[in-house]
Amino acid sequence: MKSKRPAIIAVGRTKFGEHYEREPERLIEEAWLNASSDAGIERKDLEAGYFSDYFLPITNKLGLEEGFLSELTELHVPMEVTRSFSSALINACNAIQAGRYNVVLVGGMEKMTDRWDKIRDDLMLLEDPWSYYAGCAPEANHELMLRAYIKKYGIKGEDLEKLDIALAQIAVKNHIQALKNEYAQYRRKITVEQVLKARRNAKKPLGLYDFAPISDGATALILTSEEFAKKFTDDPVYILGSSSATDYLTFPAREDRTGFLVSRIAMKNALDKAGVDLWDIQVLELYDQSTLMEMISLEDLGFCERGKAWEKVYVSCQNFRGYYEINGKRLFVNTNGGLKADGNPLGATGGAQIYEVYKQLKGEAGERQVKPDGELKYGCVLELEGFGTKGYVHILGRG
Amino acid sequence: MSSEPIERRVSYLGDRLRGRRCLLCGKEYFEIRDYCGRCGRKSFGKMVDIDLFFEKGELEVCTFINNPTNKFKKLGSYIYGIVSFHDGKIRVPGRLTDKLIKDEDEINLSSFEGREVVPRFRRRYSVDKSDIIPTISLTFTFADEYYPHQQYKVTKPKKEYDSPGIVGYGFYTSRFRIREGKMERSVPFIDEDAITAAVEAGKMALIHSGVDSTLVGKVYVGSESNPYAVKPIASKVAQVLKLGEENGDVQGVDAVDTEFACKAASSMFKDAAALVSYPKSNIQYAMVIGADNSQAAPRNSPGGELDLFVGYGGCAYIFGKQDVIAEIEGWYSCTSDTPDFWRRDGEPYPMHGGRYTGDPAYFKHIRKTAEKLMEKLKLEPEDINYFVPHQPNVRFPTRIAKELGFKEEQYLPAIQVARFGNTYSGSSPTGLASVLDIAKPDERILMVSYGSGAGSDAYSFITTSQISEKRKRQKLTVKYQAENPFIEYVDYNTYRRLKAGL
Repeated sequence: MKSKRPAIIAVGRTKFGEHYEREPERLIEEAWLNASSDAGIERKDLEAGYFSDYFLPITNKLGLEEGFLSELTELHVPMEVTRSFSSALINACNAIQAGRYNVVLVGGMEKMTDRWDKIRDDLMLLEDPWSYYAGCAPEANHELMLRAYIKKYGIKGEDLEKLDIALAQIAVKNHIQALKNEYAQYRRKITVEQVLKARRNAKKPLGLYDFAPISDGATALILTSEEFAKKFTDDPVYILGSSSATDYLTFPAREDRTGFLVSRIAMKNALDKAGVDLWDIQVLELYDQSTLMEMISLEDLGFCERGKAWEKVYVSCQNFRGYYEINGKRLFVNTNGGLKADGNPLGATGGAQIYEVYKQLKGEAGERQVKPDGELKYGCVLELEGFGTKGYVHILGRG
Repeated sequence: MSSEPIERRVSYLGDRLRGRRCLLCGKEYFEIRDYCGRCGRKSFGKMVDIDLFFEKGELEVCTFINNPTNKFKKLGSYIYGIVSFHDGKIRVPGRLTDKLIKDEDEINLSSFEGREVVPRFRRRYSVDKSDIIPTISLTFTFADEYYPHQQYKVTKPKKEYDSPGIVGYGFYTSRFRIREGKMERSVPFIDEDAITAAVEAGKMALIHSGVDSTLVGKVYVGSESNPYAVKPIASKVAQVLKLGEENGDVQGVDAVDTEFACKAASSMFKDAAALVSYPKSNIQYAMVIGADNSQAAPRNSPGGELDLFVGYGGCAYIFGKQDVIAEIEGWYSCTSDTPDFWRRDGEPYPMHGGRYTGDPAYFKHIRKTAEKLMEKLKLEPEDINYFVPHQPNVRFPTRIAKELGFKEEQYLPAIQVARFGNTYSGSSPTGLASVLDIAKPDERILMVSYGSGAGSDAYSFITTSQISEKRKRQKLTVKYQAENPFIEYVDYNTYRRLKAGL
């Protein structure tokens, strides 16, 4: 089984943010070029392509994207498009593990700012139609989950204030991390007071600074079989375990509305497949579409007891040293700034998460390089689709 | 452009909040499923229909939406959340309606959560003027405010009458008002229109009458503000209220819209009564609804005088021969081609003939019709307990009542225009409802409607002993809605905005 581990030999990405003047193909091209020149690989080496995006058919009138990518790469190999980078990656892993291909390109792209006035409506495609018909907006389910969380765990008074501050600290922390990320959309500090003020001004449980932005961007990586990886590098990063799960599209109909079932299932299965213990994970990329999602995911993945993550975050962020202190260990979370500050071009986002863990494991993260308790060996990426309708976990490791 | 098939399916489920329950495990679904996801194939044929239309739910959690998606922009900001029914067996998303949230308002989500809510049938969101109007009942109001939750209990009839009459009725208007001088007028919330008022009124009539909705064989809806030039309000009413026997996804009921300015509904009272009396019709009950979001041009523009008087609301009557609360003693109608008030096709607002709307129009027709019916039935004014005229304003009905020899105690109880405004097709029916709300058994009511264009219908009703018994079934009486502590007054600009709708 060990010989079948898929290996990442190179990663590439664009800056996330607004790329007003650039077509989507220029973005994916840049990400591919960054990755391929890193690995010294050429287009003709690619045996297949797995891509992801959500909205190109709507935002850029691109229906059959495989053909668009064939035209761009002048390749006629099999290509498939799914909606999230992690889903493309999991398909690529399956194909490599099945022995079908040795070298594939995995890419993700999104151009969200092209439809600035309609993108919030487009985002509702990720929710169930009845919620949309009832007046749901993209932020609403995050806020309802927070309300349900507060209610379920009876959080009030001083504790509620701490929970509110902990969520704000997540945004502040992610902005600080992004200062060291040259590709990040927002490279400026924000304060807890700013986050709280935005909530007060909007009279909402979560405010502008609690949510990831709308972004353009692309990411790419080259995935190979374990044997093939050796031709290019002595030190690939392996995907030790991957798993995904699916939940009801309709959030109100889910049994538990204070967390994401998909994260729990996917994490358990991915750890099992990888043969890695939860507490061996040192770097973690969480899907913080909102500050709440980062906090809840700490619980869903098993790092914090349910109903308690806010306490750990609150204490860790009182004097933040770059990591959360959980279970007496250092857990580095969203070192690239997370979706909040790095940006969230949906189809490309998962690629940036993998990019970050890859760079950390390789020791190539520059200023962002983490210093865990022992040797840095394992990282984990959680990506969600919709409001927890799909969840993907990848466990990455060296050697 | 809207998708017709999608709209049909969404409103079929969403207007009535239809679903299924698994008889094996009790799990409930807000969708028409043929089997239970938990029980699998053994549950085929064991799924029963449920619907939440007459139920009450609980707003479990909610949030404040101040930046809605594009089609919801006209709603401004609102509360959105999760509503549970049947002790959490089923949960649906929902928007709170009938709430005007101002910039300076504090939002305390905890003050909304955990409270009982009632589903309300409303417009879903804005669409282009040429599109199908989307509707839904995933809109809610608090049960402890203006609109209480009321059970719909089907009651077995006790008594058969010789002549047909009113079996039950309902009046509905919104909780918003504009107050100018002595006049208060109902203002629809922005997601309301003549269609939603017709459904609400019909719902109230079912609750009051206790009539099994599947026995209603015909429904007439009179309105002059149907948002469609072509497409009946009555079909929506029939589908949402499940009138007539269900046959798959169609209702075994005849439904039709009528139009004759303000007498579109009153004109059909006799047709409904005749239909239920005709033995071969096999129709036990017929429903007549008058509902309008009364239209008026803005002030200081042609036709803008009406803007001082128009209201919003609907009134519904169920006619039959069983458990009658008011028998029809007789009727008389007259018609002339008098163009005192009109609205051309495609025009948003009606025009009127100024001072000619009074004497050659309103007064003449009401006078002639009332006098003729009284003559036919050999009645003097003192034989009549209540006189209910059409009421476009306060002055007209008062003048004609006096002219016909009625005293204040006979006509004042029926004059409701100063509380709700002129509800056009709902106007004299609302006056009648306010009298039925207070009348004792064996009293005589003379109602005379007026519709521009022009004509009048006069009816004489005699109340029965059952009027008092049925009264306790209805909380949302005319008085209750007129004197409700949850009425909210709006300024002129808000009134015009709400009236213009989504």
